[in-house]
Amino acid sequence: MKAWETLDTLKILQTHIKKSDSNRIMTEGYTYDYSDDDSADSIEFYNSGHLSPSTRKDHLTKATKVTSILSQESGFEIDDGLYSDNDYDDYDQAYLDNVLAEPISSQEKKELSKGTVPNLKYECLTTQNIFENMLGKVNHLQPIFNIPSEDILILLQHYDWNEERLLEVWTERMDDLLIEIGINPNHGKSIDKLSTKDKINDDELNQATGASRDVVFKNKFYCIICCEEKSTETFALECGHEYCIDCYRHYIEDKLHSGNIINCMGCSLALKNEDIDKIMGHPSSTKLMLSSIKSFVSKHNRNYKWCPFADCNCIIHLKDTSSLAEYSRLHYSPFVKCSHSHKFCFTCGFEMHAPADCNITNAWVKKARKESENLNWVLSHTKECPKCSVNIEKDGGCNHMICSSCKYEFCWICEGDWAPHGKSFYQCTLYKNDETNGNGTKTEDVAKTMKKYTFYYRMFNEHEVSAKLDWKLGQTVGNKVKALQEKMGISWIEGQFLTDSIRTLNEGRTALKWSFAVAFYSDSSHNLTKIFVDNQSLLSKAVEDLSELLQIKDPEVIMAKKTEFYNKTGYVENRTYALMECGRDLLCKGICKSG
Amino acid sequence: MASLPKRIIKETERLVSDPVPGITAEPHDDNLRYFEVTIEGPAGSPYENGIFQLELYLPDDYPMEAPKVRFLTKIYHPNIDRLGRICLDVLKTNWSPALQIRTVLLSIQALLASPNPNDPLANDVAEDWIKNEEGAKNKAREWTQLYATKK
Repeated sequence: MKAWETLDTLKILQTHIKKSDSNRIMTEGYTYDYSDDDSADSIEFYNSGHLSPSTRKDHLTKATKVTSILSQESGFEIDDGLYSDNDYDDYDQAYLDNVLAEPISSQEKKELSKGTVPNLKYECLTTQNIFENMLGKVNHLQPIFNIPSEDILILLQHYDWNEERLLEVWTERMDDLLIEIGINPNHGKSIDKLSTKDKINDDELNQATGASRDVVFKNKFYCIICCEEKSTETFALECGHEYCIDCYRHYIEDKLHSGNIINCMGCSLALKNEDIDKIMGHPSSTKLMLSSIKSFVSKHNRNYKWCPFADCNCIIHLKDTSSLAEYSRLHYSPFVKCSHSHKFCFTCGFEMHAPADCNITNAWVKKARKESENLNWVLSHTKECPKCSVNIEKDGGCNHMICSSCKYEFCWICEGDWAPHGKSFYQCTLYKNDETNGNGTKTEDVAKTMKKYTFYYRMFNEHEVSAKLDWKLGQTVGNKVKALQEKMGISWIEGQFLTDSIRTLNEGRTALKWSFAVAFYSDSSHNLTKIFVDNQSLLSKAVEDLSELLQIKDPEVIMAKKTEFYNKTGYVENRTYALMECGRDLLCKGICKSG
Repeated sequence: MASLPKRIIKETERLVSDPVPGITAEPHDDNLRYFEVTIEGPAGSPYENGIFQLELYLPDDYPMEAPKVRFLTKIYHPNIDRLGRICLDVLKTNWSPALQIRTVLLSIQALLASPNPNDPLANDVAEDWIKNEEGAKNKAREWTQLYATKK
């Protein structure tokens, strides 16, 4: 979608927000304005979920902000081709992405009242975005430099896309700079010698023919690189170093991934993007630009981070890193969310790990790596039925198991009878400290720590596996909502509670998972730890309930239980928040330490 | 072994027919990409009168990729480490397919004539070189005497 179109829809969005006073906008016609609302998010994210103070009202300011950004940086276009109007096939995935990316409003309110840490201002980009941004910079610099934009691109590339440094050097010594980087200042004219490289010119090397930046066909050409004499196409820059097209292609192909400027093989004259495309016969220079930007991102890893999720090409650009210190002091973690709704911690680059902080996460992950990996697999993949000992692999999110051979109902986590779980207090997350007589020997202590670790690790793993299965479940939710629309004739927006539920479930599981890392490192005798464990149990119960609810396939039953969905989702949200805060308390008070 | 590219044959021929003064390079009988190289220490340098042995290997991607060169003779030099590896721009980032075996070897000879302790590979040697240049040069002379002279 073009930038100006977005502006238009944003205006519509603003009016819509003014009109609506409820958090959820129910108007039918609103649907794609709604998705454009998210394109606004893709430019100016606020910390989602757990630190964001932005309420619906804020979206208004967000929208105006976007408008100003768009008018400032004309070179920057938003690519939201996903949300093509009336395109029903794309629409399905698009709205799922959208809604998953939508912050939870009730949590936002809580965070607003807290207001202890500053917001993280960041944007989610792709290499293509950055490249387009760079092209914008080039246009911006063109009037200052007064040289062809292709040359400016080379200069920027050489200075790692650092505009300020380039300008600084440029004002100091502009002519030297051009020669140093290999730009011919007498544009288009052939030059005698531009070689600054320490190269020994043989007679063979001097084949200056005065050819100028074009592919030429020659009947008889001797290429000094491959030492073959043949009829071939050749290429040469103004310096006249002419080589056969095969050697040039081979040479460029090797260098495209380096991200560095490609020079003439005989001297330091730089190849422009158009030269590269000419030689290669197809647009290859973008590849070079993208790899150049990739190296730029890795070099600037204080402000830029790759999304750690597999096959995700998003880059998060944090504009101001000064607040990160405040985050770590208060044991908050700076979680960011890419446009594919992958949440991760900007400091350690790990997935979302609240309530654990980066230190605990690090210690836990390291420990997990050290302990036996086989054990992990066995623990996480199979269990025996407590009654008939049939091996069971769990392939659904809920922990309420029914053995397919003996029909025994049990809890996947504690392997106990399921009956008490449904009604009474959920006890499964509790590590039973069987310290009957305080004084044990040292080996017993070690064994006990190991036992404790195995217990917590198992819990952690359990929820990790469950979370993955839930994620799979989430992929099918789109179809479920579609089924609701078709069979029950309800509107798209009304079906959203399902997507909300699955997202909340995911967040709850992640929090629960990492809470076991916190619990492991916490002083178990402390009162707060006990409160924390209680919170864990409550969330655990809430998550299981919700997970079970989401297993329902029949659309009619789903609609009948709509209120239940709402209630349970809200409950999980609240419990997740409570657990996170409690965990942070443990960390702040030093009850939970990785050392 | 795959047939040798014309480029390598040409270069080898020229190295034999028109050798560079003070440098010899002979391909190995079994592997024509592997060269046994000797370089004479440049006059006026601490390496004068020494004859240094090196090995040079042309990787499969030569000339798109730089040849691999290593000193076999022990040498006291800030840009050459104990394993004989050489820190030289044309062997790394500044390699260009337009360069040749002979130009690379000439560059190495030039490196012997003018060591660059500010861009060191062997840190201890470089430190010595900066702090006490005369002493370091004496040591280089000593090593040349010990390891790089025909007996």
